[in-house]
Amino acid sequence: MRRFGRADIDVSALGFGGHHLGDAADVETAQRLVREAVDGGITFFDNCWEYHRGKSEVWMGKGLKGIRQKVFLMTKVCTHGRDKGLAMQMLEESLRRLQTDHLDLWQVHGVSFENDPDLFIRPNGAAEALAEAKKQGKVRFVGFTGHKDPRIHLKMLATGFPFDSVQMPLNPFDAQFRSFEQSVLPELTRRGIAALGMKPLQGHGEAIQKGAVSAEEALRYAMSLPVTTTITGIDKPEVLQQNLKIAQNFQVMPPAEMQAIRDRAKEYAADGRFELYKLSLKFDNPEARLAHDFPLDMQSAEVKEMLKATENTGRPYPEGN
Amino acid sequence: MSANMQATRRAFLEAAAGAAGSSAALSGQTQTGGEIPRRPFGQTGAQISALGLGGFHLGSATDLNEARTIVDTALDAGINFFDNAWEYHDGRSEEWLGAALKQKRDRAFLMTKVCTHGRSRNVAMRMLEESLKRLQTDHLDLWQIHEAIYDNDPDLIFKPDGAAEALAQAKKDGKVRFVGFTGHKDPSIHLRILAHGFPFDAVQMPLNCCDASFRSFEEEVLPEVNRRGMAALGMKSMGGSGELVRSGTVTAAEALSYAMSLPVAVTISGMESVAVLKQNLEVACGFKPLGGEEMARLRDGCRRAAADGRWELFKTTTKYDGAVGREQHGFPNAAALPA
Repeated sequence: MRRFGRADIDVSALGFGGHHLGDAADVETAQRLVREAVDGGITFFDNCWEYHRGKSEVWMGKGLKGIRQKVFLMTKVCTHGRDKGLAMQMLEESLRRLQTDHLDLWQVHGVSFENDPDLFIRPNGAAEALAEAKKQGKVRFVGFTGHKDPRIHLKMLATGFPFDSVQMPLNPFDAQFRSFEQSVLPELTRRGIAALGMKPLQGHGEAIQKGAVSAEEALRYAMSLPVTTTITGIDKPEVLQQNLKIAQNFQVMPPAEMQAIRDRAKEYAADGRFELYKLSLKFDNPEARLAHDFPLDMQSAEVKEMLKATENTGRPYPEGN
Repeated sequence: MSANMQATRRAFLEAAAGAAGSSAALSGQTQTGGEIPRRPFGQTGAQISALGLGGFHLGSATDLNEARTIVDTALDAGINFFDNAWEYHDGRSEEWLGAALKQKRDRAFLMTKVCTHGRSRNVAMRMLEESLKRLQTDHLDLWQIHEAIYDNDPDLIFKPDGAAEALAQAKKDGKVRFVGFTGHKDPSIHLRILAHGFPFDAVQMPLNCCDASFRSFEEEVLPEVNRRGMAALGMKSMGGSGELVRSGTVTAAEALSYAMSLPVAVTISGMESVAVLKQNLEVACGFKPLGGEEMARLRDGCRRAAADGRWELFKTTTKYDGAVGREQHGFPNAAALPA
């Protein structure tokens, strides 16, 4: 268990990723995964309004029924630059799907583009929604997430908005390529903001499949950084068991071992090919691109896959906004 | 750069040349008869033309004769800054420029780039000798480290026996007057190279009206280069292959005017035909920098389209990254990467 920033609250050092929950075989599997995770000591639950068009939230809500008070529940709002009114609608929907009257943490999802900080802080933007939801007692804490570029995170921090948490990719490859670890993490520590790590296995585990690092090393590396929690995707019982084993036996890596892993990752890291979420336009969230009026390359295999995964029709969701 | 991209670029530029009147819409410009402004090359005392002839595209000309005509036309119009690189077209760009500048070497401020991509000083010194031979000269005015675009390049350049030592040696030997580095990928890599404190005379970077709003060299690197009194060299004023113009956000004349109005010593532009050269000359001859309002208008007009980097493919994809550089870094060929 670790402190959530400066708040007097502890959360589990391993967080349960909501996107992968929607990939579980069925709702029963998902409910069982959630309960077994809680039994295994995981209290931090991640989710997002747009994951699987709501399925991730609905399934997590069912899984948490009766044990809501045992967990620290986070979900994300997906305005992607749109206004406060839309954010508040999304909040109500998230609360209903998650079957709760409040969130422990509500974060702005997927800050990826250079104009996102401006769109966030503008009058009637998402920043006002975060403040309002907190004031109404519907959310305890607020933050933002993004996987693209440390300088965009720094621009978000520079808006001066009082964030309680910031989520970012942290793994041995990140340490040496457009590094959140080097440029964002120290700033959060300095400000007393809870740092939430994600993508400990570089998102899709490419480097692990190629043998550059093992899954266990990668997860232990990420958990050994000065973060509140490391969020990882769990879609199957065996993945849950593997992660619980690592987390239950976890001891912070000595600096020399962390350096050795960084050194091993170094030759793969410098062109970013194992961190495509930082590089390729094709890893951008199609919902976010549409909300920004950026074109989608409908011919690209990756975009097709992503549209399928997000069950997106190629039109903004919710339609009419 | 693929033949296909070059063909596309030429087609668009020729189309845009037909509508050259669009540049007249820009304020503060005289279109005819003026000289290309000369600007100080950092604090060295040398003067260079505000428009420079890009070496890669020179090697894309139809043949040596066309390359000669381009170079002669450029010299006569007042261009004295000539860009090149050891690896462009496997040496052809340097050979053609050398042949074209024969007997006229003293009219040119001649730059080429060394392509160690992380390899040692000796490799750099061998490349220098080859460049001098191809360019038919006994010295370069400027010798730059080519394509610092990977996150470990600052370490590789400054390792013992690395390329930085070659720059210092060549300068001491009198084979090059000034030294610098180039790169098109990420401002943070440029800043890390500058942080080493090496006495570079020049730094080359992409500068255009979309760059201003996306991973911006203009915001992050340009002020630092000028603060240090180094010469700032701009490139990719139209996105590398005319992407900015094709995006519909600006005309070719606007894009070039924007880049030339920044506090740079020169804007290097690829011109693989006399027609493209003449189009650029229309902007460059008698050029007066755009005013602050005009600059803001162009920047703001691009801001929304610029924010995901889709028009600056040299920052966001491997399309403009040299195969030799990837190979020397031990990276798989770009074609083998997932999209």
